[in-house]
Amino acid sequence: MAQPLVKKDDDHDDEAEYSPFLGIEKGAVLQEARVFNDPQLDPRRCSQVITKLLYLLNQGETFTKIEATEVFFAVTKLFQSRDLGLRRMVYLMIKELSPSSDEVIIVTSSLMKDMNSKTDMYRANAIRVLCRITDGTLLTQIERYLKQAIVDKNPVVASAALVSGIHLLQSNPEIVKRWSNEVQEAMQSRAALVQFHALALLHQIRQNDRLAVSKLVTSLTRGTVRSPLAQCLLIRYTCQVIRESAGNTQTGERPFYDYLESCLRHKAEMVIFEAARAITELNGVTSRELTPAITVLQLFLSSSKPVLRFAAVRTLNKVAMMHPMAVTNCNIDMESLISDQNRSIATLAITTLLKTGNESSVDRLMKQITNFMSDIADEFKIVVVEAIRSLCLKFPLKYRSLMNFLSNILREEGGFEYKKAIVDSIVILIRDIPDAKESGLLHLCEFIEDCEFTYLSTQILHFLGIEGPKTSDPSKYIRYIYNRVHLENATVRASAVSTLAKFGAMVDSLKPRIFVLLRRCLFDSDDEVRDRATLYLNTLGADGAMDETNEDASEFLFGSLDVPLVNLETSLKNYESSDEPFDISSVPREVKVQPLAEKKAPSKKPAGLGAPPSGPTATVDAYEKLLSSIPEFSSFGNLFKSSAPVELTEAETEYAVNVVKHIFDQHVVFQYNCTNTIPEQLLENVTVLVDSSEAEEFAEVASKPLQSLPYDSPGQTFVAFEKPQGVPAVGKFSNILKFIVKEVDTSTGEAEDDGVEDEYRLEDLEVVAADYMQKVGVSNFRNAWENMNPDSERVDEYGLGPRENLSEAVNAVINLLGMQPCEGTEVVPSNSRSHTCLLSGVFIGNVRVLVRLSFGIDGEKEVAMKLAVRSDDESVSDAIHEIVASG
Amino acid sequence: MILAVLFANSVGNILVERFNGVPAEERLHWRSFLVKLGADNLKGVKNEELLVACHKSVYIVYTVLGDVSIFVVGKDEYDELALSEVIFVITSAVKDVCGKPPTERLFLDKYGRICLCLDEIVWTGLLENTEKDRIKRLIRLKPPTEF
Repeated sequence: MAQPLVKKDDDHDDEAEYSPFLGIEKGAVLQEARVFNDPQLDPRRCSQVITKLLYLLNQGETFTKIEATEVFFAVTKLFQSRDLGLRRMVYLMIKELSPSSDEVIIVTSSLMKDMNSKTDMYRANAIRVLCRITDGTLLTQIERYLKQAIVDKNPVVASAALVSGIHLLQSNPEIVKRWSNEVQEAMQSRAALVQFHALALLHQIRQNDRLAVSKLVTSLTRGTVRSPLAQCLLIRYTCQVIRESAGNTQTGERPFYDYLESCLRHKAEMVIFEAARAITELNGVTSRELTPAITVLQLFLSSSKPVLRFAAVRTLNKVAMMHPMAVTNCNIDMESLISDQNRSIATLAITTLLKTGNESSVDRLMKQITNFMSDIADEFKIVVVEAIRSLCLKFPLKYRSLMNFLSNILREEGGFEYKKAIVDSIVILIRDIPDAKESGLLHLCEFIEDCEFTYLSTQILHFLGIEGPKTSDPSKYIRYIYNRVHLENATVRASAVSTLAKFGAMVDSLKPRIFVLLRRCLFDSDDEVRDRATLYLNTLGADGAMDETNEDASEFLFGSLDVPLVNLETSLKNYESSDEPFDISSVPREVKVQPLAEKKAPSKKPAGLGAPPSGPTATVDAYEKLLSSIPEFSSFGNLFKSSAPVELTEAETEYAVNVVKHIFDQHVVFQYNCTNTIPEQLLENVTVLVDSSEAEEFAEVASKPLQSLPYDSPGQTFVAFEKPQGVPAVGKFSNILKFIVKEVDTSTGEAEDDGVEDEYRLEDLEVVAADYMQKVGVSNFRNAWENMNPDSERVDEYGLGPRENLSEAVNAVINLLGMQPCEGTEVVPSNSRSHTCLLSGVFIGNVRVLVRLSFGIDGEKEVAMKLAVRSDDESVSDAIHEIVASG
Repeated sequence: MILAVLFANSVGNILVERFNGVPAEERLHWRSFLVKLGADNLKGVKNEELLVACHKSVYIVYTVLGDVSIFVVGKDEYDELALSEVIFVITSAVKDVCGKPPTERLFLDKYGRICLCLDEIVWTGLLENTEKDRIKRLIRLKPPTEF
């Protein structure tokens, strides 16, 4: 025995230092486990050894297969002892060892015996152990006993069987589902815990049967549920029923709301919370419904228990995202939580306040946050930074104080993720708020003077190269950039060289001085830095040989790589070194469109530096390159707009096709992205036959077939139409996919020589007015509106008919016009009776358009709208009215 | 699901750790995360005063009892409120077994019993028993008194 357990009457002086498991060793304990084999078992000693084994296991120690098997076999011998304490230990030990299926058989009979024992507690424990180690075949043998146990009079036995059922439902659903009657009976049990476990199991058994769940909820909400835990479950299931029945109710009365509301007065806190949360998460919850829930949550904000404060502020934080106005009453209570000891609570309080605060409270709030930031961990700081970013976008006029705050915290200590979040935020603010640009860039410059993160330095340098030359005084940034060449590692130095070159290319007055700086870099110790300096000096014409024009230089410095990176990567991987050099023009330029790309959450902002300057433009660039590389379309001029892909097939069909509408001044090109999802087929000569009889103003002028469409390798075919110049012509097009199909032997991948002509009907496609509008936002709508000629303004009123709510009407008009909502005005506070929405865009012909929409809704839900339009061209103002009138 | 129950001593050594549905490779991360959380926040906290934290969609409720810190981690239906219920049951059971908020030595002395209590309270991620008196009887294989 390595270390005997210390007796209680030992000297207590050194109690703290002396552990009964001091020096415990796996090998020695395994030796000790031999006592399990003694003919005369000593229950006390055996229990001590099991405790040691448990200690080892709980410390993360693992047993080898052989060790585990030996211990397991030895433990099974202990079934001979009638000592109750030891038997309880044995049950636990078997569960911990979780024996393999070939070993289980050794204990099965002992456990089956215990399962039918007259001692209740043997039954309960044997059920739990059996269910833990059993497999499907054994389960059918013991099913009968388990069903009996579920309705056992002893609540411990019943609970053991029910909880086993919950676990077994995952592995053997068809068996457990047969126990439904017994579980139903257990629901009526007087024991609170049995009812709780039975409710959980019954719901899991019936979760796919809506009607059954609805019946269960209806009957239980009327009756009594004893345990608060079960009550919480019931509230959750009720919410599920409410969600699923939404839309079926005509009366306006929300089913079960009274039940949820009554739970707010329950004596158990957890039930009150569950009900309050459930109410706040109801679909389209009204402020009348919200009020009682918010009131109880507000009370918990000042609770003495941190868990309750946390739960309350966490729920209110969620509510604030959807209904900021509903939470404003709690602002005073929440402000006092900023100084809460518990940092999670404080952070949640601050981020909630940032969401519910108005423009006038920003400065006061920022003061409080400044004190708070110094003593929280980075992960909380990131949350605060993100909240401040969205606050700044919401109140652009407050950019000065928010930008100052960001630059201050940028100077303080912090890890990479935190610093990245701040830098990303500053970059986004610079992009979205033009007034913030110069100060933001200077903050970033100061940051790279003392930045320990190579990644951030290079990203900021890249960003400076793009934005810096466009400012009023580009020269002031040069010092910061050139300092990097002296002070930083090779990666940052190389980035700095590239940035300097960009300034040289864009700002002629700086060029000679930039040459001087670049020439100094020719002697850098790193070859990449030297190479870049040489390259840029040549490109910018420093040696006097102007072999490249300025335009070429800018294109080289600022243009993106004109082949998709994925294709380039594939081509490079396939390239085998030989005498023939790699030819970049051999890389295919066709973009494999990812059909899921446009389904991204619309609220996601581009993630700062990591993303290209603006997501959509990058896609348009790619499209423009693709289209101009096709001779038939090269004469169409500049691409005005490309739509998001529109699906023309259902999900999971043989051929998946979506279409992108490319709008030119006088033409429209449909790009059909096709994917063949059948491995046994190769499609050739794929075209789309378009019937434009319902689009009178369009005439087909060209079609580019897709030569070959192998399995799971998307390809494109195009059809082009001519339309009257500058006119937002609309129409409907029906489409049939035509192709020659060839059988493919999947084992060899070879296709047969002969194919069969076939066709596949696609859904119809429409060109609508919104296709002629680019979503282009303005940072300050009022300024933009006032700067536009008032004579171009056209105002009219429209009746939009009955609508569910204002939000629906606002979205319908935004979608109809395809314009960019400004200043967050697309969000309608719930239950508003009037709302103003501001839109901005560029209409075909590059005409700027601003729209001011005023909505009102009356008691009968009739919506009226006043539409005011200003644009650079009066005829476009009229056109917008025509679109709304005909929409 | 209750993802983890963890006991540590005052200097951060693990006394008991039980994970449910946490991949083995993530356990080390959780262990050090929880111990650090305790070291940062549990100083000067009164016995059984609950602290709470959340990390993404996972909740953590923790407290101190004598020389021992106790952490419970859960997700989905086991949010901070359900976990506070779980940790309440655990602390009462431990106090009951030890007779008082335990020193580390006392805790280790009663190690086997405490393991049995945990086995009655949390069963592979689900809360099973909630009353300390019943648990006290169950670990000795005695039926509950109300029966």
